[in-house]
Amino acid sequence: MKYRNQAFGALVAVGALTLAACSSSGSSDATTGAAADGDYSGQVLKVMHYEGEDSAMGIAWNRAIEIFEEETGATVDLQTTAFEDLNSSASQLFDSSDAPDVSEYNKGNGTAGQLAAIGVIQNLDDAYAEYGWADKLGAGVDTIAMYDENGVMGSGSFYGVPNYGEFVFLYYNQDLLDEYGMEVPTSMDDLEADMQTFVDNGITPLATSAQEYPMGQLWYQLALSQGDRQFVNDYQLYENPVNWQGPEISYATETISDWVSKGYISSDASGMTAEDAGLQFINGEVPFFYSGSWWYGRMLSDITSFNFGITNWPGTTLTPGSGGNIWVVPVESKQPELAAKFIDITMSPEVQALLGESGGLPVAADTADITSPDAQALIGLFNEVNDRDGLSFYPDWPTPTFYGDLNSVMQGLVNGQYTPADAESELQNYYESYVSTVQ
Amino acid sequence: MTAVATPSAALDKKDRNKRRPRTPAEWILLVLAILGAVIIVFPMLLLLLNAFKSPADYANSSPLDFPKALDFTGIKVFWETQNFPHALWNSVFISGMVAILAVVISVLNSFAIGIGRVKGRTWLVLVFLMANLVPQEMLFDPLFRLYDGLGLLSNPWSVIITFTVIQSAFGTYLLSSLLGTFPKEILEAAAVDGATRFRALRSIIVPVIRPTLSVLMVFFFIWTWNEFLLPLAFLNTNDSLTVPLLLEQLNGERQTDTTTLIAGTLISTIPTVIFFLIFQRTLTRGITAGAVK
Repeated sequence: MKYRNQAFGALVAVGALTLAACSSSGSSDATTGAAADGDYSGQVLKVMHYEGEDSAMGIAWNRAIEIFEEETGATVDLQTTAFEDLNSSASQLFDSSDAPDVSEYNKGNGTAGQLAAIGVIQNLDDAYAEYGWADKLGAGVDTIAMYDENGVMGSGSFYGVPNYGEFVFLYYNQDLLDEYGMEVPTSMDDLEADMQTFVDNGITPLATSAQEYPMGQLWYQLALSQGDRQFVNDYQLYENPVNWQGPEISYATETISDWVSKGYISSDASGMTAEDAGLQFINGEVPFFYSGSWWYGRMLSDITSFNFGITNWPGTTLTPGSGGNIWVVPVESKQPELAAKFIDITMSPEVQALLGESGGLPVAADTADITSPDAQALIGLFNEVNDRDGLSFYPDWPTPTFYGDLNSVMQGLVNGQYTPADAESELQNYYESYVSTVQ
Repeated sequence: MTAVATPSAALDKKDRNKRRPRTPAEWILLVLAILGAVIIVFPMLLLLLNAFKSPADYANSSPLDFPKALDFTGIKVFWETQNFPHALWNSVFISGMVAILAVVISVLNSFAIGIGRVKGRTWLVLVFLMANLVPQEMLFDPLFRLYDGLGLLSNPWSVIITFTVIQSAFGTYLLSSLLGTFPKEILEAAAVDGATRFRALRSIIVPVIRPTLSVLMVFFFIWTWNEFLLPLAFLNTNDSLTVPLLLEQLNGERQTDTTTLIAGTLISTIPTVIFFLIFQRTLTRGITAGAVK
């Protein structure tokens, strides 16, 4: 008897909840109608992004939402998600009734490029013409906003709007440099001499990780230091075949191998994650760490026991880096017009300055608006790269699997499984097996 | 080692004398049990140790160190930035509905297959098992489009329907073989007494297999609770997230706020522990049910 009552109770509960669920899902898309000019009150714009609440982008975009609601009278339904989540679901999500009206999305051929090619995100050429975004974006930054019909970036139509930039540079421990009487390195010779001194004193000079992105980016930086813009175009945009035994790549591979044998890079690097390498620097164990602007805010807050500084890699005109992730308008967006208005507000000087002030790298800010010295140092470095038209993207962009390929070759190079020549031909195989299918 | 030790330990237990010292076999078993417990508790200890560190403390110490000072930043940030109670409710609602519905459906299915002995039952069971054997990645796209068409995206019922089907497939398989061996005499006696088929199911079969049904329900609850991929696809708004999805939100693109993630994980284990405390008797009873007839 007791059981019967329980079962009956459960069925009643199920029935009641079914009704509740049905009634709540019925009235969600009442906002589809077109609005009269300028007045959008009562309309809802569904914005999706995956930046943390306290990150520079999170802070700046919250301000953008306020301005947007004031100016248009529409309300914003903000949905935050996670990078990995959106990466795995975007191609379905953007083509469904659940699609946001405007969303942040990962830039690059394998991600936004692919969505552009299959038509899941909207062509923004008209919005670009209307709002003049192209004039605000520097060369190098706008590369990741354009995709051709195969989803290859750098040409074709605009599909996204980058709000911020990112690049890779050298973090150094000022206290350790002072202790051994060194200056901040301004040439490769300086850097190598400094690293030798640290090795002589029993300190591993350069924190890096071959299990994740840092060593691949170091390798690419070394190659870039010997290359010119055409090398980048060949490597990233497949304009000409890349010479994998040429001066750029052989310099990079041999230098890494040389640095490992001299002890500049610990052979433990093959098993370390980016987090491990970053922590070595934060803990003050190593004087140099080569990585990106995404670490900057963390360094400012977590490094308490010493002073650190940042500088661009010595002796190079090209630097790994790019525009950041982009705003895209999904094909199922119910408010493409409002979405463009919202994007335009995120590009406004006020929001861009706030983004910079909060530790990000604005793409369209007036540097005079930014007062924090930490933010100025970072933006100054970024402007220096942009002035020499230096942004050269990331080493893993050319093929969808090159990230893992490059890491495994770097690991082989560090633990002695590959000679530099082996490593080059391995990389060449991985690269060409994909690139031959797109050319 | 343990294979030898087990029977002797069981034997000892019978005529256990309080004054008699433990035999070496018992000691070995005890040590193994403690080791096993330590291995299982270790991740929880890591969570406890690190959830109360400040981000700087975490960065500067090994995960095994004690926190320098009790710091509640991680827990505070997690609680303030994430709507945990709502996610908890979503998880409980989804898992609870699936557990109840899937058991009900399993019982009805297996009544037909196990007791009713419908034609081609072996093949039927096999077809049901397919629902469990098909990788979820294959279901991802078709189900997404289906729920999109039905307007059920970001609605808990998309997940409930999916997992009721998947779990009841397993339940049908298990209960069908159990009911296949159900003593015919009892049912015949009931029929003689004038019980209808439904009455036989309700008043005889279900009470007899109740311990198994309870375990099945608990398992369905836990399995559904831990599901990740399909809920990730179907639940896209912040107020529809389940607990595992909420924790995933804390992972950044290149960096993760580790202390917040650890604090969130710690908080999210609390309901699971409570759930276990409530249902532990059901679980152990159900596992031993049927061992002795």
